[in-house]
Amino acid sequence: MSLLRYLKRYSSEIILASFLVPALVLLLIFQLIPTIWTIWFSFTDMALIGKKLIHPSFIGLKNYVDMLNDSIFWQSMKVTFEYCLASLVLRFILGLLAALYLTSKMFRGKTILAAIFLLPYIIPGAIHPYVWISMLDTRYGTLNRILLFFGLTPQSWVYKRAMESVVMINSWAGYALAMLILSSAITSIPKEFYEVADIYGASRWQKFSKITLPLIKYPVILSLVLIFKEDIDDFTYVYMFTEGGPHYRTELLSLYAYHKAFAYFELGYGCAVGVIIAIIVFVLTLAQLKLGGV
Amino acid sequence: MSDVLKKISEPTLRVVGYVVLVVMCMYILTPLLWLLLTAFDPEGGPYLKLPKSITLDNFVMLFIGKPIKGRAGAAHPFYMNVWLKNSFFIASVVLVIIIITASMAAYALSRLDFTGKSLLMTFILLIGFMPSMAKILPLFKLCLMFGFIDNLFGVAVVIASSLLPTQIWILKGFFDSIPRELEEQAWVCGCGYLSTLMRVVLPVAGPGIAVIALLSFLGAWGSFTIPLILIRSEDLYPVSLGIASVFIHNPGEIGLAVDYGPLCALSIVYALPSLAIYYLTRKYLMQIKVGKMEVR
Repeated sequence: MSLLRYLKRYSSEIILASFLVPALVLLLIFQLIPTIWTIWFSFTDMALIGKKLIHPSFIGLKNYVDMLNDSIFWQSMKVTFEYCLASLVLRFILGLLAALYLTSKMFRGKTILAAIFLLPYIIPGAIHPYVWISMLDTRYGTLNRILLFFGLTPQSWVYKRAMESVVMINSWAGYALAMLILSSAITSIPKEFYEVADIYGASRWQKFSKITLPLIKYPVILSLVLIFKEDIDDFTYVYMFTEGGPHYRTELLSLYAYHKAFAYFELGYGCAVGVIIAIIVFVLTLAQLKLGGV
Repeated sequence: MSDVLKKISEPTLRVVGYVVLVVMCMYILTPLLWLLLTAFDPEGGPYLKLPKSITLDNFVMLFIGKPIKGRAGAAHPFYMNVWLKNSFFIASVVLVIIIITASMAAYALSRLDFTGKSLLMTFILLIGFMPSMAKILPLFKLCLMFGFIDNLFGVAVVIASSLLPTQIWILKGFFDSIPRELEEQAWVCGCGYLSTLMRVVLPVAGPGIAVIALLSFLGAWGSFTIPLILIRSEDLYPVSLGIASVFIHNPGEIGLAVDYGPLCALSIVYALPSLAIYYLTRKYLMQIKVGKMEVR
């Protein structure tokens, strides 16, 4: 009887809560279960070929202990840190700049600008690598020809400056994410705030730092979190361009996990590296959200 | 004093602004220039050059599936139209799934207050954060159980689940900024939760829906890793796998052996629907309106 009364009292809340069900079911089946399996695999010596695929044996923390003594693992940890930091800064600053161009009253041609800014993000990712091959080739690449035109020394982008070129491609392809989130946040700020600021004679910088930035704090943190997640997860550009070379200088952690699992067939070890990446993402995301007070 | 400073700084700022803008546009557009020129060039190569003559042969070749007489190269057949149909099917199923599930979930998360709500939000965010490469083998096993291998609908469901967390978060932000008074009036008039969501909240949240529609369409249309694991037979390839398979069918690695003309034409046709979707939703991308907004 009391259950029935309880149901009646909270019936609207229960209907609303049931709206969560379809999304949660999808997430549980196709995201959580594979994740848990991955954690389980990381404690086994599962291999991609042979009978270890069907009958792996539990080996405890051996994969993780091996990792501590694995110099390539530490190398790729360092590389990943550099890559993510450089991409995060570039993608965020480019995105914020683009968002300001799209929202400021100072510049004309917003429609065309928005279309240009969004082009790399709209074009499907499978095309990006081929487009950039023509750009970064050492002898006939467009970038080196531009450098020569301005009297600068051409660089061996794909080999000697592998990390710089990968970061360049990644920020080219991905800055628009921050731009989308930030520009719609900036447009949603009421105009009255700026009108009041104008009455008091606030400068452009004051308006930006005292009104715009505090009000878009939540979207800023959201875009930082999303950018970081994409960067640490995605290895398409490294994979297509350098295969982690030369000398593991662009071997990102995610690529290392892939190589361990699919090139060396040590699936258990690959899953363990994947778990490490997940832990890094977990900790840094929580820290970012905590700092933002979200 | 500040007036003087303002007078000096305003034109300078404008000039600096335009210089930065031009550099940014060059960074964005130069790589794409090659794609555009090579697609119309009868003898396009991997490097940027002005075509001597302009032709539509590359586009024609894609759809008839065999090389045109008198043209060298293009030894591989293209199943362009089949690939396009597959990609389109996947993207539209993902779009429908995401708009329905994400808007319901985001609405509930925005309007319900319960203990552990922020925990659930964090959980939803983190659940999508497991690196996709580490999930491949478990995902493959799971899809084998569901019969999702070589199944375009299954691929769409898996892609939708991987895009869902981000979309819920973005949409919740939009719903949070819609005043509750709006719905309270709807309830007074006797609307249930679902009809409130459909008739009152969704129309007002138009920009938010448009943003997640664009993002999820782009994610599904361009997705590569998940189809790579789940699709075996060539006539079920989406375009992304198709472009990659052009390179696999060619002898040698990525380089001069590839016939770049049809490839660039394929890439341009592949990019067109994304551009169209952007064109249709662009109004909503940059502007959010609705009376007074509570900005966080």
